[in-house]
Amino acid sequence: MSAEKFQVDQQESEESIQLHIRGELDLAAALTFRHALEEVVHRADKALILDVGQLRYIDSTGIGIVVSALKIRDELKAPFSVRNIPASIRKLFDLTGISGFLNEGIEGRA
Amino acid sequence: MNVVRLKIPATAEYLDIVRLSLYGVATKLGFSYEDIEDMKVAVSEACNNAVLHGEPESGHAGQIEISYESGDGKLVVKVKDDGTGFNYQEHSENAAPLAGASPSELQPGGLGIYLMQALMDEVVVNTDAGTEVTLVKYVQTQITD
Repeated sequence: MSAEKFQVDQQESEESIQLHIRGELDLAAALTFRHALEEVVHRADKALILDVGQLRYIDSTGIGIVVSALKIRDELKAPFSVRNIPASIRKLFDLTGISGFLNEGIEGRA
Repeated sequence: MNVVRLKIPATAEYLDIVRLSLYGVATKLGFSYEDIEDMKVAVSEACNNAVLHGEPESGHAGQIEISYESGDGKLVVKVKDDGTGFNYQEHSENAAPLAGASPSELQPGGLGIYLMQALMDEVVVNTDAGTEVTLVKYVQTQITD
């Protein structure tokens, strides 16, 4: 096991903006994640998709940032979804109660 | 009882070292992958509080002391900082998962303490001198035929 540095890759298509996050999203990585989201969270013209398929760790810091993004997107009536959730990450999403708000498999709908 | 100790600066960039050392200790004790992942989050949450709220009155960045005590079928992790105190009692009472019918009603505060309680078997907080959080996880014994 080794600590995996947090990274964000952004891709954009005609319909959506995708943020692929990988590595460990802890307190040290929080600012990087927050900044990456701030760049795109107000883009109501396209769906925002957070791909967590390569995410190896998250805690309340990262989940709190996702909640903030959820609230902004909801206010804008703009689509936001989280996809490719690994089992260990899903467990935390379920425990914290955020799972019901992640719009999995409903990309493109508000 | 075996004890492993770690002392780190109370800054976020050192928290990955805590998770790495916890992985090493917990693996030796035979914890499952899932239990280790749970403990990594719970211990990190305690350390997050120490980084965010653990600054001593001197104003200089403090240190966090982590100890791993194993024995009697359990792992006892203690996270101690010298800070002026984070009101664990008050936040513990408000610790809960997210609740709300819509995103606008969601309040993300209190998730850290809630996760500590949900992922560990016991959580005890002592604020007599700084803050010491004790997290306990019991090794699940495998049932074999």
